[in-house]
Amino acid sequence: MSSRQISGILLGIVGILVLAIGGLSAILLFQGNEQQTTTAAVNQNVSSIEKIDPAGRELRLPGGEPVTLDPHLTTDAVSGAYIVEIYSGLVTMNAELEIVPDLAESIEISSDGLVYIFSLREDAKFHDGRGVTAEDVVWSIQRAASPELRSTVTLEYLKDIVGVREYYYGLKSELAGVVALDTRTIQITIDSPKPYFLAKLTYPSAFIVDRSQIESNRNWVRSPNATGPYKLAEWNLGESIVLEASEHHYLGLPSVHRAIYTLAGGSALTRFENDELDVAYISINDIDRARDPSSSLYKYYQATASMSLSYIAFNVTQAPFDDVHVRRAMAMAIDRQTIAEVTFNGMTLPATGILPPGVFGYTEVDKTLPYDPEAARAEFSKSKYTSSNMPPIVYTETGGGASAGLDTQAFIEQWRQVLGLEIEVRQADWASFLDLIDSNSAQMWGIGWSMDYPDPENILDIKLHGESRENNTLFSSPPINELLESARTNFSISKRITQYQEAESLLIEAAPWIPLWFGSNHVVVSENIEYWFEPPMTLPRLQHIKLRD
Amino acid sequence: MLQYTIRRISVLPLLLLVITFSTFCLTRWGPGDPISVIAGQVRDPEVLAQIREAEGLNDPIYVQYIRWLGDASRGDFGESYIRRGFTTWEVISPRLWVTGQLGLAALLIIFPIGIFAGGLGARFRGSWLDPTITLSLLFAAALPGILVVAVLQWLFAVQLSLLPVGGWGGWIDIYWIAGIVAVPIPDPHIYIPLIAYTLGGFVGVARLVRATVLEVNRTDYVRTARAKGLSEGVVQRRHVLRNSLLPLVTVVAFSLAGIIEGSIIAETLLGIPGIGSFLFQAIGSRDYNAIQALTVIYSATFIIMNLVADLAYSLVDPRIQVGDT
Amino acid sequence: MNRRDSEIDSGLPININKKSMSLTAAVWARFCQKRLGVLSLIIVISLFVIGILAPVLSPYDYRQTDLTSALLSPGSEGHLLGTDRLGRDLLTRTIYSIRTTVIITAITVLTGGLLLGPVLGLLAGFFGRWTDVLISRIGEILSSLPALLMMILINATLDERLRDQIRKFEDWSGIDGLISTGAYSYFLVFGTLSLFFWVGSMRIVRAQVLSIRELDYITAAEALGATPARILSRHIFPNVAFLIILGVSSALAGIAGSELVLTWVGVGVQPPMPSFGSLLFEGSGARTVRAYPHLLLVPGTIVTLLLFCFVLLGDAINDAYRGD
Repeated sequence: MSSRQISGILLGIVGILVLAIGGLSAILLFQGNEQQTTTAAVNQNVSSIEKIDPAGRELRLPGGEPVTLDPHLTTDAVSGAYIVEIYSGLVTMNAELEIVPDLAESIEISSDGLVYIFSLREDAKFHDGRGVTAEDVVWSIQRAASPELRSTVTLEYLKDIVGVREYYYGLKSELAGVVALDTRTIQITIDSPKPYFLAKLTYPSAFIVDRSQIESNRNWVRSPNATGPYKLAEWNLGESIVLEASEHHYLGLPSVHRAIYTLAGGSALTRFENDELDVAYISINDIDRARDPSSSLYKYYQATASMSLSYIAFNVTQAPFDDVHVRRAMAMAIDRQTIAEVTFNGMTLPATGILPPGVFGYTEVDKTLPYDPEAARAEFSKSKYTSSNMPPIVYTETGGGASAGLDTQAFIEQWRQVLGLEIEVRQADWASFLDLIDSNSAQMWGIGWSMDYPDPENILDIKLHGESRENNTLFSSPPINELLESARTNFSISKRITQYQEAESLLIEAAPWIPLWFGSNHVVVSENIEYWFEPPMTLPRLQHIKLRD
Repeated sequence: MLQYTIRRISVLPLLLLVITFSTFCLTRWGPGDPISVIAGQVRDPEVLAQIREAEGLNDPIYVQYIRWLGDASRGDFGESYIRRGFTTWEVISPRLWVTGQLGLAALLIIFPIGIFAGGLGARFRGSWLDPTITLSLLFAAALPGILVVAVLQWLFAVQLSLLPVGGWGGWIDIYWIAGIVAVPIPDPHIYIPLIAYTLGGFVGVARLVRATVLEVNRTDYVRTARAKGLSEGVVQRRHVLRNSLLPLVTVVAFSLAGIIEGSIIAETLLGIPGIGSFLFQAIGSRDYNAIQALTVIYSATFIIMNLVADLAYSLVDPRIQVGDT
Repeated sequence: MNRRDSEIDSGLPININKKSMSLTAAVWARFCQKRLGVLSLIIVISLFVIGILAPVLSPYDYRQTDLTSALLSPGSEGHLLGTDRLGRDLLTRTIYSIRTTVIITAITVLTGGLLLGPVLGLLAGFFGRWTDVLISRIGEILSSLPALLMMILINATLDERLRDQIRKFEDWSGIDGLISTGAYSYFLVFGTLSLFFWVGSMRIVRAQVLSIRELDYITAAEALGATPARILSRHIFPNVAFLIILGVSSALAGIAGSELVLTWVGVGVQPPMPSFGSLLFEGSGARTVRAYPHLLLVPGTIVTLLLFCFVLLGDAINDAYRGD
């Protein structure tokens, strides 16, 4: 052999050896690796928490990468999940979804329902120990509504406050409706009596931020000084986010001192089984295993309902959906029960109405149009469209990747078999999808809605009132509109509920929407966790989780 | 030769200009925009219109483009829409680092093994070993990346639990022996992506090496050198080796290009925070600034690789005239 | 895979008719001696035939869902290769995926490599000067681009707009079903793919045209009254034909691979038309593979076979040409 070949061979052998040694080490040490890193991290971490409680209680969970951690800009649930831990406001929602005071100690509402007076707690503190004052609250709300900030959502959640609209559009330089009466009292005036106003204040648009930090540091959002139960300890873009309990928070130290969210990493369940995570969400591939009493996952499995609704919406100004009989027929032609059981392995709940479980006015009674192929055909024959003059129908949905949603494909088949309709599926990515809906060019589409607060106004009014800007169906029924408007200002809880329930029934009959599924969460929770709290919507939850000693 | 090189290099800025302008127009012409994505389902058309105006998204395209060009030439790629509070560069640069490192590491693996395989093939030409090597490497290259990653994940992560199923943990982990001695070992997250990247690259290197070694061994001056009585070793080192290695430069360019394209899929499947996985996020969120920056990065890399390959190719084979043909 | 066209020798020895005829025959003869090449050609042709005969050969309708027989393993009753999550027969969907790949690859090759490329090359070579500069520069730009990135970008952004235009066209011309049959989504995919694949054959044809048009005997032929058509068919075409075939065969795997990735990403062939991209998408994911491996392995094996044969075929033709 020539020396050239020898050198080639040697080079190759060296390379292989390097890989092999590295590989073997990895295999041997992979199990031990995690403990090494965790211990190292805890030892290096000299925070005051360890001085009080050296045990260093950590929770490792999967997380999504947030779009922003600025509470006044956030619009998505992923960012929201972190924001509600780091920041807080005057009111919040507790684990039972009740609106309770947070930084405010007490709330007084005037008899006409227009003036709210909030008294701040004495021990309301920022992460750096500074006390929260009424000035902070006023400035924060003003910042959220400021034209320079360009938030897309502030108006939506704070528009009831007098003067916010004018301030946002630059017509006035002062926000009239929010005033600091003294260092610990804030007065907020709204434009008409609304029983759901406090619920809207739980949204991050009303969260408190530190003025001096924002005005002095352009990059403040990477280590914000805020008032929530946790502070942002680390944000490694694309890799991890670490939250640490704030020792100045009035609730005291929670069970979870540190929450480590890993942002990347593929299948969460596999990492859970390899003991890299303490909790993981189960997908449809593993739900059978999780529910099987003889499998290793069974004892960790928990399922809870989430306050969200998936539905099909029709644009009622476009043929053939301008005819209510067509819409009703399509609602009756699909067998959601079987699809939920077979296609989704029972992971989703067929919707029993528009209001998801947990919202005031929800009942378990199934109010939706039942699956009945005969009735569907009968309904269809009442419409002005027949198979000869039926215009082409396109179903628009959003998806990531190559396949249409499984339920969509099943529905298409059922509409074909029962009603003889050939419906084309068009997949658009999220941005195009929003565009299509906005421009009213989509005929029918599938989408979901998660509640921001457990009040029916947040779905029935916002999405289905005839004049609401977020009503993309363009459906408007005067009796329903009247019911919704009256419920807005009705302070009698029982009467409000009745009104919303009536509106819901009417809406189901008129079918601008076909309610499909209520969301649910399926998780596996490791033994390190004594009590796991899976919130049905975005609200602070780390404080409710208990780790095992 | 020099003239040609200069001409090619001077065309670079023009090429980039055309490419970035095309992407600029393409993204803005398509449906959706970053403000709409940020707003999500809660969208008041008045509010959104106001914000678009303030962000300068209603200006005519050439105005927007010139603004972008001016900023970009100073290194300012704008604010990120997808990670608000960070600049585009701050979001991209750690990811660039990850992808770049993986790419370079893949190259460093492809070459020794490829050279080895090619040398083997040349040495044992005519026996069963030669075609077997070539065929196996060709097969490895034909495998679709999606399939490779899926199978590797299943095999090593799910079945054998040897490797993590995805994600990223850096390159080196420190393992402490008895708490005293620190041993650096490769982080287990790198194995699956490296395997996926390198599988397709071996065949290019191996075949070129094999062909070159065979060809050079047949040339006159090598035969002359042998006839002169020079030892085989000297012949190999001085003539064969030197001439075999220059063509490899051309393969570097292709391999790197292949790795970069493959990284787009592999990173997405494995959840690796590089620029490949970020590409989809940027397109999906219509983050115009990020898309522009990524286009610049990818295009510049490709163009430079092409140029290097062309120049090396012409150096290697003087019969190939570089120029207009 | 290598798409580089400069890999193929463009500094050709100049062929006069007679020699080029026997060149083709000689190359073909050499090719036939390569067992592997012939085998892969046979497999490719068989797969093409299967693809074209898909409606005849498939036991089921590729869209037909049957929720009661979802996720059956291969060998189950009535489903030779099992079913997917919606109960659709996997054998049927695989056959139709072959058809999708076949159609797209073939059309891309035809439009890009055999139509667009040579035509532009002819124009560039014949008319020279500005036409040449323009076409060559555009070709240079396109080949410098990271193709995958641009294809994803183009498909993602242009899809909607073009769809609207096609709809308007449908209304105006009365032709129906362009979009609903899925023809439009094919169009977009092979349109984008062709955009990046014409450069190679353009350069080949252009080089040949440039080298030939100055020859004395051509000038003589022209003086004698030979039409451009005659010059084309007797002098240019025979010399470039094989080169083009060479270039195209090397690109086959790349084209099929790109379509796979585009569809997997979601900007390629739209559902319900099956494609290997969508089948692989439904089957990948570590936990899916663990639970239902056939969803991945069935399409995975077939598509690997197809791609491998494309590669071997291109290789064998290349070797035959070089006389290795």
